[in-house]
Amino acid sequence: MTETIENIQTRRGEDAGPLLSVRDLKVTFQRSGEQPFVAVDGVSFDVRPGQTVGLVGESGCGKSVTSLAIMGLLPERGVKIEGEVLYNGQDLLKLSRNQMRDRRGADLGMIFQDPLSSLNPVVPIGIQVTEVLERHRGLSRKAATPIAREMLEKVGIPDPNRRLTDYPHQLSGGMRQRALIAIALAAQPRVLIADEPTTALDVTIQAQILALLKELVEDTGTALIMITHDLGVVAGLVDRVNVLYAGKIVERGNRHELFAEPRHPYTWGLLNSIPRLDGTRGQKLTPIPGSVSDNLPWASACAFAPRCSQPIEVCREQQPELVEEGTRALRCFNPIDDEVRSGRTPDAQAPTSTQPRDAAYPTDDPKGDPTMEESR
Amino acid sequence: MTATAETTSAAAPKDGDVLVDVRGVKVHFPIKKGVIFDRTIGYVYAVDGVDLQIRRGETYGLVGESGCGKSTLGRAILNLEPPTEGTVEFDGVDIASLSGETLRRKRQDIQMVFQDPMGSLDPRQSVESLLLEGMKAHGLAKNEKEANARLRELLKAVGLPAAALKKYPHEFSGGQRQRIGIARALSVNPKLIVADEPVSALDVSVQAQVINLLEELQDEYGLTYLVVAHDLAVVRHISDRIGVMYLGALVEEADAEELYEHPLHPYTRALMSAVPVPDPVVEDRRERILLTGDLPSPANPPKGCRFHTRCPWRQETRCDTERPELRSVQLEGVSPGHRVACHWAEQIASGELKPHEVKAQITEQSDLGGDEDLMGPASIQEAL
Ligand SMILES: Nc1ncnc2c1ncn2[C@@H]1O[C@H](COP(=O)(O)OP(=O)(O)OP(=O)(O)O)[C@@H](O)[C@H]1O
Ligand SMILES: Nc1ncnc2c1ncn2[C@@H]1O[C@H](COP(=O)(O)OP(=O)(O)O)[C@@H](O)[C@H]1O
Ligand code: SF4
Ligand code: SF4
Ligand SMILES: [Mg+2]
Ligand SMILES: [Mg+2]
Repeated sequence: MTETIENIQTRRGEDAGPLLSVRDLKVTFQRSGEQPFVAVDGVSFDVRPGQTVGLVGESGCGKSVTSLAIMGLLPERGVKIEGEVLYNGQDLLKLSRNQMRDRRGADLGMIFQDPLSSLNPVVPIGIQVTEVLERHRGLSRKAATPIAREMLEKVGIPDPNRRLTDYPHQLSGGMRQRALIAIALAAQPRVLIADEPTTALDVTIQAQILALLKELVEDTGTALIMITHDLGVVAGLVDRVNVLYAGKIVERGNRHELFAEPRHPYTWGLLNSIPRLDGTRGQKLTPIPGSVSDNLPWASACAFAPRCSQPIEVCREQQPELVEEGTRALRCFNPIDDEVRSGRTPDAQAPTSTQPRDAAYPTDDPKGDPTMEESR
Repeated sequence: MTATAETTSAAAPKDGDVLVDVRGVKVHFPIKKGVIFDRTIGYVYAVDGVDLQIRRGETYGLVGESGCGKSTLGRAILNLEPPTEGTVEFDGVDIASLSGETLRRKRQDIQMVFQDPMGSLDPRQSVESLLLEGMKAHGLAKNEKEANARLRELLKAVGLPAAALKKYPHEFSGGQRQRIGIARALSVNPKLIVADEPVSALDVSVQAQVINLLEELQDEYGLTYLVVAHDLAVVRHISDRIGVMYLGALVEEADAEELYEHPLHPYTRALMSAVPVPDPVVEDRRERILLTGDLPSPANPPKGCRFHTRCPWRQETRCDTERPELRSVQLEGVSPGHRVACHWAEQIASGELKPHEVKAQITEQSDLGGDEDLMGPASIQEAL
């Protein structure tokens, strides 16, 4: 914190070492009487100063659990966390709860999807900002107040003087998210984790918040971990993209290369299944068949195999490893190649209809209903 | 239907076969306050004067941000929310005038598909009984054989295996539940399906399955759709025509293609420029029209043009005082069916008027009634 912005700025970018390194992070939920559930399964990535790293994937793939593990916010009971979270070389997972509490705010800040539940409902916004300034920057209440006002103004809250005394419920969703950003920023964290910060907001408000985050990274050299399910948000904001599927990173790349040349069938499938505002109308979407409930266990297969457009035999027999190659990383036995990419469709007999192939129907059937087979 | 056409704005479509004719519809919700006596202290102007026509066999998309009144308008069309003012004609008949058997029969013609497939399906009913319910009520399952054949056809249509019949909603994934919801809507042979946010609760990878399904069923059964959604990319993909709503009223209406090529209303432009596109090349060179501030409260909508508090093209005259009408404009590449509610649409389109900076205005969240000391929700939206 004694560090100046200039210091951070000179060290940012690819040549600077990673500020945060997540190494082989594994989070297992173990409730008594239930099968252990691996929510995050060997996730590794680096974050550098001034860099925006994205974690993208659909609901339940482990994005939030990853961020909560980094922040030390997972419950102690019933959760096993393995691996390392290195911040400036120190493993945060080895710190005590108290030590970690000091790190939160100062070194690591977080913005959640639902700002109302993460703001204190009975404390005015202004006090919530000044408290952070007092605690993390050692300012007096008197000295903190004008800075708090400045922070609210900076995040685009109109009439900040008046807003200082407002309670969270008096603000709209967009303003609450701004207030939360102001509180997170007040401590000047070097790493900011934003978990779906705009998902609950309207798109015109989302555009404002994303512009704000972008400016923040550019101006202060803060490292941003952006968690989202929206590939559009990723395309506009994120430098390095990690695509998660069922708790594992399946593909990684820099923003432009990943979108220009998606290699993993899941990434490719996602890009083909979302309607684009600038897309050709009347062109049919190519859905990914089935749902995550069709997944196979990673231990002995590719989890995505039942939904994949081009599985081969080995995909159901063995776990694909994440293979690094230059700036890219890929976990796949049979990646999408140029030929498929230029055809703009995953494969020749791709399911363009909504009647997806074998994968679509309840293999998740809790009772293992055998009659499901017959109807395929 | 055509008989009423002369009484409304000149721009109303006369071509095509109109299935749903919405004229001057308003839905105002009273805001009550008081412990002993319920005093009405104001109104939420959820829908405040909407004219639109949905043609037989088309998909009409209604798009706008949360709280703009899309769902309320959809419900008013179904007469689930009786309009405070205005009329809705379905197939030439004023729905509000119906009662008893005739109303029941009309209701069969209009079905709804909801956002949250779990919330809209009774968890204690098997898929079979969910689907049979409506069919029985409307006399579509006269005997068991007929009913069985129909059930199988329905499941096949929405891409579920026959074995699904004996299962319960919780045994399915979100996308499959939405298929069940669609099958239930289809079960009574409707003419119109109103789908309110049909894919927004689904995983991205699954949304396309449901979008494609809706499109296929439309071709197969000649259905007419009203799709209500906040996601402009989804709406543009699925709709033939689109109405853009802002604070209870339509601000623009056009063919899906034309709306994208020639957005005329400043709000439509801003909305379109804000939708992220999954392509970094596009994102990098895009010009964004960033709006400042929030949506004003529908309990206290701005005078004049409702968008004037956030409009980057707002002018000294007319904008704050005179409410713009939804009208056709004479511009190159703009067809007569394209309507816009902006006083300055022509001058903005020609580039004569340029956007300027807008200072964000505060939106009061606490003036919607509700006792402040109760730590109430920040908006009525949340209370629902
Ligand atoms: N406390 C918990 N106990 C048991 N399982 C949990 C717990 N928290 C999360 N999980 C499970 O871990 C998996 C990953 O959850 P996570 O919240 O990280 O998903 P996500 O990627 O953030 O999804 P979303 O996009 O819906 O926010 C899910 O299957 C979830 O049900
Ligand atoms: N039953 C109701 N009572 C009071 N206000 C309502 C009711 N239903 C909707 N509203 C209000 O009307 C406005 C429009 O709501 P809605 O049609 O649900 O918006 P949208 O679907 O566009 O998000 C909102 O301000 C909402 O809070
Ligand atoms: S490993 Fe096999 S199943 Fe998995 S994504 Fe690659 S090709 Fe598909
Ligand atoms: S009428 Fe005025 S304020 Fe309204 S959209 Fe047009 S230019 Fe903007
Ligand atoms: Mg999450
Ligand atoms: Mg709605």
